[in-house]
Amino acid sequence: MLAQLLVSSLTAGAVYALIALGFVLLHNGTGVVHFGYGDQVTFGAYLVLIAQNFVGVPFSAAIMMALLASMALGAAIYAVFMVPLRNASLLARLIATLAIGTALREWLRAFMGPNAWPFPFLLSPAPVEVGGLMLVPANLAIIGVVLVILAGLYLFFEKTLQGKAILAACENRTGASLIGVRVSRVFLVIWVVASLLATVAGILVAPLLTLSPDMGLIAIKGFTAAVLGGFSSLPGAVVGGLLLGVLEALTGAYISTALKDMISYAILIAVILVRPQGLFGGLALKKV
Amino acid sequence: MHRIMKTAVFGLCLTAMVGLADAARADAPGVTDKAIKIGVLGSLTGPFAIFGTGNLAGATLAFEEANTAGGINGRQIEWISLDDESSPPKGIAAYKRLTEQEKVFAVFGPAASAVGQALVPTFKASKTPTFISVFSTPVVTEPPIPNVFRTGPMNDRQQGTAIADYVIDHLKGQKIALIRQSDEYGKRGADSVVARIKARGHKLAAEETFNLTDTDFSAQLSRIAQATPDVLVVYGYPNPSAIITRQASQLGLKATIMGANSAGSRRYPEIVGEAAAGTQNIITLEVLPESDDPAAKKFHAAFEKRFPDLARQGRPDLGDVLGYGGALTFLEALKRAGKDLTQEKLIAALESLDNYATGLSLPTTFGPNIREGNQSARVVEIQKDLSRKMLPVVVRASEGAAK
Repeated sequence: MLAQLLVSSLTAGAVYALIALGFVLLHNGTGVVHFGYGDQVTFGAYLVLIAQNFVGVPFSAAIMMALLASMALGAAIYAVFMVPLRNASLLARLIATLAIGTALREWLRAFMGPNAWPFPFLLSPAPVEVGGLMLVPANLAIIGVVLVILAGLYLFFEKTLQGKAILAACENRTGASLIGVRVSRVFLVIWVVASLLATVAGILVAPLLTLSPDMGLIAIKGFTAAVLGGFSSLPGAVVGGLLLGVLEALTGAYISTALKDMISYAILIAVILVRPQGLFGGLALKKV
Repeated sequence: MHRIMKTAVFGLCLTAMVGLADAARADAPGVTDKAIKIGVLGSLTGPFAIFGTGNLAGATLAFEEANTAGGINGRQIEWISLDDESSPPKGIAAYKRLTEQEKVFAVFGPAASAVGQALVPTFKASKTPTFISVFSTPVVTEPPIPNVFRTGPMNDRQQGTAIADYVIDHLKGQKIALIRQSDEYGKRGADSVVARIKARGHKLAAEETFNLTDTDFSAQLSRIAQATPDVLVVYGYPNPSAIITRQASQLGLKATIMGANSAGSRRYPEIVGEAAAGTQNIITLEVLPESDDPAAKKFHAAFEKRFPDLARQGRPDLGDVLGYGGALTFLEALKRAGKDLTQEKLIAALESLDNYATGLSLPTTFGPNIREGNQSARVVEIQKDLSRKMLPVVVRASEGAAK
């Protein structure tokens, strides 16, 4: 039972990790915690449905359209909200992200209805038995996608000039622009990539979690995973997500299923109190 | 002088007469010679919009049909719709606005349990007849409140009893397992299932809890699987219920899954996918909105014509039929209350409804101190092709075994 539990909990963990990656990417790239990110994940999956049902294209084309549309959405969020707010306080920008999320969610509820929508699995949800364990291809695919995205982002930030430029721009805006980095373009790219990532996450998790306007609530778990991993480390986000999934499952199995949520938030508080840099983050010293 | 006196006396008489007329109207606010003003209250935005939009759509359709047919005893229905935004405090404010400022004759709604529960003290302090047809928390009818009526959904306590009876009598469950949502909804319903199963001399093989936002149920389902149950009762909202059904099948659980009314949405089988085949759930409708039944087809066509935007979202669904059935029942009582309309007469007319059928929702019986109009439910079985089939069985809230 324990082995099965761990295998199953890795799927939940991978979902958290996928969302945590988006949080960390945006935070690293722009310094903002995007509190509407969960709603953007939901919105991404709905974009596929909208393309499929109202534009009338087949599922695969609908996915392409949704990915493109979400990139446009990312650019729009940057242009309409983040550029005018670039000199505003962090709090103002955080509230703006919250407002973006609420607007997306309530628009979905009004236009697509409050009921859940069926969303197809990309791979089979039928289990395959391997050595006494029930493995589900659709679930394993999520873990695979998370690792691929992690590797891609990691290589980009650590090994390419562009990636390093982004990190530099985030670290010190004035300094970066002095050495020739176009900060505004860097921020634009981050928003576009993060929005794209949200839609990828949405498409993967929608069949698993049931697609409804409130699916974005899952972002709280992604946020916890990101904090657990240090909020600035991409591998940390993935490890944090998987760890949270496994911890929840173990709590559920051996302590109490009703206390699952309580324990994951207790972990959140404990990490913030004891190790605010998370498991992977380095301590950021601010010199004043 | 004499003339002035006369005018004054006449004026005084006039004032007195108007005053008398006003006094006569005190128990019939919102009623004029030509119209009856009704307040429609429901959650139109926020997480409970799923219920409130059905309440409003059903009422709108029924009221418009009645008006086209010449109104109720010659009066047109006028309605004012307020959105409580899925918030109990806003629900209280909206109810007070309808009854105190808009001075409506009756309120149709609210549409969500959390809002209804918070409104109980306000209901008690108000005299306005209030008609509920979508949500199912028992607190608004147990104990009965004189001016608050409900038909449509059986309350959660009754549903729990009905589910337990059905599982024992029809599914012949020997080893019954239960998984419940940790909130008020799951607690009320599941407590009632457990109490009934115990009262019938059976024991639960396994009992598990989950939180509304859970996405992984392998811990609970693995433990349930170890008990090898033949029936698994799932008491929770549609989204977690759908995931549980899928994960149960992925973990190789063979039990028949029995769900509550909340799994009664048209899209539910598709949302679950293949794993839905063979699962069953309670539904508090006479006919399924998508079925070939003439009443269902007529309603379906009228609904799609009136609300193309909602039809696009896969409606009419459970909440819409409950709203419409409730509104038809409410209008029937309004008609029976007669031309000389007062709130007391409406309440008396509601109490006179005896097995009143709309052909869509289940029959309604009220009476002195009976405020829960519907006490029965049907069972839906999901077929291999993921269509829904209404089983012939009728389960009841209290009369012992299901029939």
